[in-house]
Amino acid sequence: MSLAETLKVQRLAGWRPSLPQPAALLPYAVPAAILVLWEIAGAAGLIADTVMPRPSAILATAVRMTASGELLNHLGVSATRALAGLAVGGGIGFALGIANGVSRRSELLTDATLQMIRNIPHLALIPLVILWFGIGEGAKLFLVALGVFFPIYLNTLHGIRNVDPQLIEMGRAYGMNGRTLFRRIVLPGALPSIFVGLRYGLGIMWLTLIVAETLSASSGLGYMAMQAREFMILDVVVLAILLYAALGKLADTLTRALERRALKWSPAYANH
Amino acid sequence: MPITEILPRAIAIPPMLRPDGAGAAVRARNLGRSFAGNRVLADLDLEVRPGEFLSIVGKSGCGKSTLLRLIAGLDQPSSGSIGVDGLPADRAGDRLRIMFQEPRLLPWATIAGNVAVGLRRGPDPEAVAEALASVQLADKADFWPAQLSGGQRQRAALARALVSHPGLLLLDEPLGALDALTRLTMQNLIRDMHDRAGFTAVLVTHDVAEAVALSDRIIVLGQGGILKETAILRVGPTRRGSPELAAIEAEILDAIFAA
Repeated sequence: MSLAETLKVQRLAGWRPSLPQPAALLPYAVPAAILVLWEIAGAAGLIADTVMPRPSAILATAVRMTASGELLNHLGVSATRALAGLAVGGGIGFALGIANGVSRRSELLTDATLQMIRNIPHLALIPLVILWFGIGEGAKLFLVALGVFFPIYLNTLHGIRNVDPQLIEMGRAYGMNGRTLFRRIVLPGALPSIFVGLRYGLGIMWLTLIVAETLSASSGLGYMAMQAREFMILDVVVLAILLYAALGKLADTLTRALERRALKWSPAYANH
Repeated sequence: MPITEILPRAIAIPPMLRPDGAGAAVRARNLGRSFAGNRVLADLDLEVRPGEFLSIVGKSGCGKSTLLRLIAGLDQPSSGSIGVDGLPADRAGDRLRIMFQEPRLLPWATIAGNVAVGLRRGPDPEAVAEALASVQLADKADFWPAQLSGGQRQRAALARALVSHPGLLLLDEPLGALDALTRLTMQNLIRDMHDRAGFTAVLVTHDVAEAVALSDRIIVLGQGGILKETAILRVGPTRRGSPELAAIEAEILDAIFAA
């Protein structure tokens, strides 16, 4: 292939040349600038520490609470709840998505019910959930699992429904049946959509957990923030909020990395 | 320079030099197919000899693709019977392979992985490498389909179809989406492979020149049946664009338009 042709193929396939090194730092410029301005404004007395503590104070609090082990304890509890909820809700969503994507009968049986439940905001169930489960782990697990379930269910179902029928026909013509067809064509074909569901699910996972922990818990990041509010320890409140942002971003970054590995065949990921 | 000199065609190997029994026979009897009461094929009899290269031409909607899908077992006849080597098509297994208008490669498998789809009994790297070399794609084994050109993808699809050494290759307008030059190269490649491997080939195309260049026999399909049948005798290398072939082409086009 000539160079011109190669370039053409690459352009058609949506490839971009990789950015030079300094440009890779570009996404961090705005957050860094905000931190610097915030610190300066606090030091100059433009923002009262009782309204919004300075980044340096928050950092000091983070170091202190990490040293005492308190922070890691809350973090660990929250992460365990989040992952347990993701595993349960995501697992059920994935399984039902596949079942309903493959079997018409299964879809007829369950999809209408699921669509009905989907229209209830899951956080509206909090009063009921507290009555059912108290403020124990069951309540958090239930809410997170319910929140994560729908994006993963819907996107798995959508992914399987949208696998190229021509590829399925090819698979059948080449002697694939049931299990092989699913493993080699249906599942890989649905994977991009399943990843979209996973990333949506992760966002909902954190949101649900924060709300649930804020309303009813005796440990975890949300509890830590609510306790600090009671005693007006503002730097801990802000620290908790920043940690949520960092955890959300971490989860998203990990998923993206996983996505790039699993979908490296796709032109959309070819040059990352 | 005439185009035949840029794209030389291998001299056809006489059938008796071919490996014995390499090509499968196709036989259709009183074949009919209707879609929602609309008869596309009616009482069609067709016989394809082992090792023969048969082309089916006709107007759009004349049922040529339907006929191919019936031979492939991708569709079931409304009446009559069809068999490959006396077996129903869905039991022909890897004796029968089909190439579609689109390459239909798995985007998530490498080119080598895609060719391996054509193998029934597990992966066989040697067979895959051999098939890729025969379509001049040996250096693309580890590429993703998205990284190949249209012609290269269709060559990979050809390798996938031939890796199991089928007795019957069905071609459903496989070159229709390619540019004119790539199409000529592919035509030569397909005819070469056919002459070397000795499989039976059935090609559906709307390009009469392509049918004339490739086939031993051409049937014109229309009004549910066969309107015209033309055998093309090949002695030695055939020159594309020779007066004899041009005359055959004109005759077939007349038959299509008369329908």
